[in-house]
Amino acid sequence: MAGERQLREVEHTADRAFAVRGRDLAELFAHAAQALGVIQGQAAETQETVDREVEVSGVDRETLLVNWLNEILYLEDVHQESYSRFQVAAISETFLRACLHGRPNASSRRTIKAVTFHGLKIEQLTEGWEATLVVDV
Amino acid sequence: MGKPSPSRTVSRSDFKRISDQVWEIPPDFRSDMRAPARLYADEALLEAALTDNSVEQLINTSSLPGIAKYAVAMPDIHQGYGFPIGGVVATRLPEGVISPGGVGYDINCGVRLLASEASAEEISPFLAEVAAALYRNCPSGVGVHGEIKLQDAEMDNVLVEGARWARQRGLARKEDLQHTEEFGAMHGADPEHVSHKARERGRHQIGTLGAGNHFIEVDRVAEVYDAMAAESLGLLPGQAVVQIHCGSRGFGHQVCEDYVARFQKTVRDYGIELPDRELVCAPFESEEGQQYFHAMACAANFAFANRQVLAEHIRRAFEQVLAGKVPAFDLHQVYDIAHNMAKIEEHEVGGTRMQLCVHRKGATRAFGPGAPGLPDDLREIGQPVLIPGSMGTASYVLIGTRGSMEQTFGSTCHGAGRVWSRARAKKMVRGEELRQELKDRGIVVRAGSMAGLAEEAPQAYKDVSRVVEVVERAGIGKRVARLEPIAVIKG
Repeated sequence: MAGERQLREVEHTADRAFAVRGRDLAELFAHAAQALGVIQGQAAETQETVDREVEVSGVDRETLLVNWLNEILYLEDVHQESYSRFQVAAISETFLRACLHGRPNASSRRTIKAVTFHGLKIEQLTEGWEATLVVDV
Repeated sequence: MGKPSPSRTVSRSDFKRISDQVWEIPPDFRSDMRAPARLYADEALLEAALTDNSVEQLINTSSLPGIAKYAVAMPDIHQGYGFPIGGVVATRLPEGVISPGGVGYDINCGVRLLASEASAEEISPFLAEVAAALYRNCPSGVGVHGEIKLQDAEMDNVLVEGARWARQRGLARKEDLQHTEEFGAMHGADPEHVSHKARERGRHQIGTLGAGNHFIEVDRVAEVYDAMAAESLGLLPGQAVVQIHCGSRGFGHQVCEDYVARFQKTVRDYGIELPDRELVCAPFESEEGQQYFHAMACAANFAFANRQVLAEHIRRAFEQVLAGKVPAFDLHQVYDIAHNMAKIEEHEVGGTRMQLCVHRKGATRAFGPGAPGLPDDLREIGQPVLIPGSMGTASYVLIGTRGSMEQTFGSTCHGAGRVWSRARAKKMVRGEELRQELKDRGIVVRAGSMAGLAEEAPQAYKDVSRVVEVVERAGIGKRVARLEPIAVIKG
């Protein structure tokens, strides 16, 4: 789970905004995915019974991040599942392949409608990467 | 178009005062502005708007290609993503653009008002049971599934026919459709431009409420300001009424996601530079612009159908609880309005009537008397406008005016407008205490989560009465009645 050091909530009046970090792009994308669960107050899962392979593309790194996170929300919606662990197996500027691990969860009280491009930033830091995102709730 | 200037912080002194309620940022404020940006507010609401990035977001929208007259923000303006919430931008056709971010993820999020034959006093002994029945009959939560599963052919029917589909299934009355914006079905819907993913997300979600600020509320008509208009709408002092606030659920979210992601490339192809990637757009007449418009109309129709099915669930809940206890309790539809939509409308710009693509993001269409698109029985008084307040506070029924047609492309405000972030609301307010406080005031609350309840605490919002006063003084809406809550059902 993205710990406090990797996830920081940013003030936003109507929606939710957060900054997340990772040592490399693969970890950044995995931590951003975990942040969706943290923001929605989902507990870390101990029993994983569902695995899903996903492939996502985008015209650039920022679009790839938004598409990846929205793909997770989509899969949670249609399969009534919650994912808590994310293994990014391959990542480039415009493509990623990953495995989602979680469990069926028809009663999940999700609150995020979508991940937006508003104020979206992916920055390389001295050590690692940071992304800032706004989600529609 | 030149490269947008670096972001410039806006302050009170940058506004030119147009009237007591209208303030303007002139187009030379930033090099990328193509039109002025106007804000409807009194002094206090103007100050409130300057506490977050909403005015910068309003200025950003004035950079959209083809913008007509000015970008407008209503007094309930607050920070959103891309557009501010409370924003109205009209673009000239055929050359102007359409922007999926200018409509938002919850396409045709809106409000429906049903009025009961029963008074609030008559149903008050059964209020807790009514609230429980409403909660049971109207599933809530973001990803929740409802009773109806739509197969592909029926889904196509929903996307084209909107609330008319519900009528075919016996879930709507003729009068419901008459008293719904666009008569419950947007023209131009073409399911061919909707993704498989959107269909999958929407398949189980008709007749569900969602979460966040979506709600069902039972109210009492507390005061009537315009007796003639109230009578035309079937509203009486002391009457029980029900508001539904929700939209197109996961279906609409997916349509918006699909096109915002796709338009990231489209803007490059058309050489459009924007200060915010959420504002991506395409010329309305382009293939991409048309495809989004057709898909957006499908999502709008999904939302009309969704609120229609919820209205029937509410009628069922009233029947379950009140039959045999209250002599008459039937619910007739006052009106149903959208507050996240892009629509093709004709308005006067610089003395010439022209076709525009009017984006309303957290703003309500407010057509005045005699405007096209109104049912016969409302043509003389104007379109009903439904303004829900924050939880536990008043809501208002307004009617559109000639002033809204002249000043704001037939638009007015949509609610109270947030001032506190959700995180701050949860820090400052405990859901359980809030529920008790509302109970002490005689308001029954059924909520999916206490944290969700705290996020929607009345302290997190502006004073809706003040917002409504501004629009009335500015002449872009006229008060008909004030509603006070007696039961709240939240996702």
